[in-house]
Amino acid sequence: MKNKKQKTISFITLSAVVILLAIAVSAADVNLSFDHFYDNAELTQALKDLQKAYPQFVKMESLGKSHGGLDIWSVVINNPKTGPGEHKPGYYIDGNIHGNEIQGTEVTLYAMYYLLKNYGKTQFATRLLDERSFYLIPTMNPDSRDIFINKAEELRTGIIPLDEDRDGTADEDPAEDLNGDGFITQMRKKDPDGRLIPHPRDSRILIPAPAGKKGEYIMLGSEGIDNDGDGRINEDGPGGYDMNRNFGYNWMPSYVQMGAGPYPFCWPETIACRDFLIAHPNIMGAQSFHNYGGMILVGPAAPNMGQLPMMDKQVMDTIGHNGEKILPGYRYIIIHKDLYTVYGGTVDFTYYGLGIYTFSNELDMDPFESMPFGNEEEQENMTPEEQEQRQLANEFNELFFHDHVMLGESYVEWKPYNHPLYGEVEIGGVTKFGRRVPSLFQLADTCHRNAAFIFYHADQLPHLEFQKIAVKKLEGDVYQMDIRIANTRLTPSISQIAIQKKIHRADKFTLEGKNVKILAAGYLTDKFRDLTQPIKTQDNFFWVENGVRGHGRIDIRLLVKGRGNVSLTYDSLKGGFQQAETDLK
Amino acid sequence: MKHKVSLYFSLVCAAALFLSAAPLERYHTPEEVNASLKTLGERHAQTAELLTIGRSAGGKDIKVLRIASENPSYSKPENRPSILVTANLEGTHLIGTEAALHLAGELLTRYGKDKNITQLLHTRTIYIAPLLNPDVAGFYFSDLKIERKGNMKPVDDDLDGRDDEDGPDDLNKDGVITQMRVKDPEGTQIAHPSESRLLIQADPKKGQSGLYKVYTEGLDNDGDGLINEDHPGGVELNRNFPHDYEYNNPQTGLHPLSEKETVALIQFMLSKPNIVLVLNYSTENTFLNLQQTGRAQAAGNKIKATGRFATMLGLEEDKEYEVQEIVDIIKNSGMVPAGMEVDASLVAMIFGSGPAMNIDNLDMPSFLEIQKQYKDALKKAELDYPQNRASGVVKGSFAAYCYFQHGVQVFSSDLWAVPEPKKEPVKDALTPEKLKDMSNDDFLALGEDKIAAFLKEQGAPDNIKPAMVINMVKSGQLTPARMADMIDQMPKKPGGDGEEHPDAYLLKWAAEARPDKGFVDWTSFNHPTLGEVEIGGFVPYLQTPPPALAEKTIAVHTDFYIGLMEKIGQIAVKKVHVAALENGLYRLTVHFTNPGWFPTSTAQARRARTAWPIRIECGLSRSQTIFSGQNVVTLPFLDGSGGTAKAEWTIKGKKGSKVTLTASAPGLGTETVSVVLQ
Repeated sequence: MKNKKQKTISFITLSAVVILLAIAVSAADVNLSFDHFYDNAELTQALKDLQKAYPQFVKMESLGKSHGGLDIWSVVINNPKTGPGEHKPGYYIDGNIHGNEIQGTEVTLYAMYYLLKNYGKTQFATRLLDERSFYLIPTMNPDSRDIFINKAEELRTGIIPLDEDRDGTADEDPAEDLNGDGFITQMRKKDPDGRLIPHPRDSRILIPAPAGKKGEYIMLGSEGIDNDGDGRINEDGPGGYDMNRNFGYNWMPSYVQMGAGPYPFCWPETIACRDFLIAHPNIMGAQSFHNYGGMILVGPAAPNMGQLPMMDKQVMDTIGHNGEKILPGYRYIIIHKDLYTVYGGTVDFTYYGLGIYTFSNELDMDPFESMPFGNEEEQENMTPEEQEQRQLANEFNELFFHDHVMLGESYVEWKPYNHPLYGEVEIGGVTKFGRRVPSLFQLADTCHRNAAFIFYHADQLPHLEFQKIAVKKLEGDVYQMDIRIANTRLTPSISQIAIQKKIHRADKFTLEGKNVKILAAGYLTDKFRDLTQPIKTQDNFFWVENGVRGHGRIDIRLLVKGRGNVSLTYDSLKGGFQQAETDLK
Repeated sequence: MKHKVSLYFSLVCAAALFLSAAPLERYHTPEEVNASLKTLGERHAQTAELLTIGRSAGGKDIKVLRIASENPSYSKPENRPSILVTANLEGTHLIGTEAALHLAGELLTRYGKDKNITQLLHTRTIYIAPLLNPDVAGFYFSDLKIERKGNMKPVDDDLDGRDDEDGPDDLNKDGVITQMRVKDPEGTQIAHPSESRLLIQADPKKGQSGLYKVYTEGLDNDGDGLINEDHPGGVELNRNFPHDYEYNNPQTGLHPLSEKETVALIQFMLSKPNIVLVLNYSTENTFLNLQQTGRAQAAGNKIKATGRFATMLGLEEDKEYEVQEIVDIIKNSGMVPAGMEVDASLVAMIFGSGPAMNIDNLDMPSFLEIQKQYKDALKKAELDYPQNRASGVVKGSFAAYCYFQHGVQVFSSDLWAVPEPKKEPVKDALTPEKLKDMSNDDFLALGEDKIAAFLKEQGAPDNIKPAMVINMVKSGQLTPARMADMIDQMPKKPGGDGEEHPDAYLLKWAAEARPDKGFVDWTSFNHPTLGEVEIGGFVPYLQTPPPALAEKTIAVHTDFYIGLMEKIGQIAVKKVHVAALENGLYRLTVHFTNPGWFPTSTAQARRARTAWPIRIECGLSRSQTIFSGQNVVTLPFLDGSGGTAKAEWTIKGKKGSKVTLTASAPGLGTETVSVVLQ
């Protein structure tokens, strides 16, 4: 048993340590830089630092472990002084669901950092954080993230073993970094039977040998060996499934949708994401980051879903087209129509399953001048010569970029290697950091512009307010109340799809006061003629089935019995929770 | 504690009792079912092992009994071809649970006595899951009878932010939830003219005007003006699987496989790749009704040629092609890289033809032959089953998942249904059987009236007129035998000639077969919000067979299911041929065959890429080398009842040296043959 003095001393020491720690990571001291990629350890530390610096706003929590045993972190950002998170429209972001599409994590982290850092400093950040709550999963795929950043391989999939080739063993033939340079690049071989020749201007580029001429090279694919001796190289690497085909809306089995997995929500990462979304039913806007190509994608992701209902389409179109201005070069397009079909993707689950307005940005474009191939139709109209010329022009531009902008950093020059099967080969080409992910000098630009787009979308979530509460005494204890609830932003308080498919509860209007009763209620449809459309009430509340449209309002006329102070509540699941008071007199 | 022990003891006694082939006097509670599984496991420790595969939403264990002999002269149970027997995923299909238990009991007690069963348990592993929905099954035994189908997952049916707050109430305290009929100006129902206890929709065209509104017995518990609009529970498990799943429906769950019970089942099945046959008990009867859930999109094996691929392959744009036709066109296009398999699955994928919605044409013969055998078995046992009422597979059901996505052969039976009322056979009436042996002239001699009566009796569509049929027979377009075939294949409409209420037969049957007559006569009741109402109607669990009627069909199905287990695909070596070439080269040709009845995989599994190919390893000694061929050869499948396929190698080796060939696939086990080079 310690004596009192000792206790006091240790208390003082402890307090000192706490204070020191608090000083060590004070708000001013969290300086995150966006000139590098964060692996899991760094990301975890950054999130912890932010939580420590802004404990009133930030709550980070593990949603579970990935297959590789890493925490799948979630972050909730909310200002409790302006109400609990679930009383505000929520905005959800996930990044890096595909293991090789890593920069979504940096964008998510940046968005969080920007908001916290600028709260109280800029009007916009302050308002946004006061009005909305944020729900983030910076990386959905921590296993493959670390592989991308710290190892030679790059994986789109998660790493749960899967026997893609049904030969009874799983993941038995992955790619290998044969030359030990830290990257899986390409293999090519001089071979008299080859049909390719080096381009006369740059031998790094191989082109088809002209008709009648002998070729010199063959391409051998990714760096690796035939580990299982089945005559194929790298045909069964880690994983082999696609988390973004595993969501439980319009899900299709693997033979229809490659990578779907045996059933929807069967992987720990997709389960974690689903449970996080369901636990926060106030989420009304969402962004799921991918790469690449510079696109602001909107569902539906598959043709069998038809088209978005008109009112929802208008909302998405407005935000998407403004997004094109925030993100120059990005195209706002529909997934199945303008890109490709995805069954069981995140965006259809969040929109059709949960009623959330969802975008998915394909981050970044080729950082060099490229001649676009155009859409499928344009490609079909191109002659093979034209296609070949464009291809070649792009290859030259890409190499020019690597030589003169990246200064060789993400290109491995072709060097000989003695392959166990092929003998003398050359290994080289663009590394994984030279494609799809932004160059580090461009990362901050990607982060800021995409965060700005998220903020714009989040800002356009519904914002409801009581604009008018007028009380008129009729006779005795009977009053007429005229109430206007307005939505000052673009997004309705309930999405049209949620109304159509009965996805979640409607908005609820409640009037409370001592011995106060609603006798009748109606929507005031014509104030000049005093026309109302009746609303079915229960005790002291009623459901506003269609919510409040974007930039719209509802006028409610109540016939109320009672007197004294009353409180009015407009409780929208996804549109926020508003209260007001007035007196019946 | 003492109480607990004695309760357990009595459960075990009860279990022991009903396992000893005593007549089925009543259905068994989930606790009794699990206790009896435990007893079976203990009593037959050499052949049975009880597994727990998960828990229900209500916290009850879901059990599977593994049945296989541990005889060391056969392969290990976990490596044997396996069969999964599943029952009562719906929870209300109590007879299914009893049947699965009966099957388990028969297999275990006949082992060592009956030669076939003994052999079966030596060579197969059988997993029996008699009660996959213990929560819902338990409701049958509660004092208040409500035929509840949803599991224990709370669901907000009416989207008012509260779960399960307005369920039915037993207002007249008779222990059953029935219906309320209320005279209402907006009522649309009237009493049926010939059976006043049953209601029908009033038909204004016949001068009828509506009288009643009908509700489930209960109150407006939450005061929202609606009665029983948010009843307790839950998700219907047999609609929670991913094939043709109904989205945005609270009864089917938030998404496919959203429920603990269904995930437990699917994970168990996926963990056993050697399960090649699923025998299910549910309200579906897929032996008799082969109708599938989907709209007739992309009918069967046809694919529409569209876009780029049509151009690439020189196909006629927008024309429908047989999948096999396109497979052949691609194979012969000269565009296929060496070593690439072109099959139906690949074609379906590149043409984006979506999921299969119908039984594959190649699988159909098996389904039809089993259907015939099933009908024969019912007939032989003189089971009074109303075949025309058999319902097909349900959207999002387990059986639909098994075939279309998991690709295993699956059958489901409902075991029993309320029998069709006996009709007095009309003397000299025409039947499809008689039609089969009739000549054209015999048929025409019947005359238009008899033919018209026959068509009506068979439920022919209205546009089939007797005169038309007569003309077709006259002109030789149709023969009586062909007509009999068509009638056989026609979906059968349930009986009733339109004048009788479609449920009248239930009433008649229940009056004789059920002590409670199955119907609560309408009696008036003063309802707090509706005023004067009448409470009455069919009782819950009306169509649950009285236990005494269940026994016979259970025994018939047990035998039939055991017969199916014996039919699964197998692999054997049919012929080995060694031809000596020159210079120590030997050409080795091996024919493999399938002595089982079913093919080694379904065509649907091959399309869905869930079929395991047969892998043949050519084991060489050090002095031997393969001159041509590969050391691992795969055969996609072997057709049933003697289908064969061959594998060939040219091997360089010493005369008299041996080559060992091992053929295996998870659902087939392993077959090894040693070949001498000479």
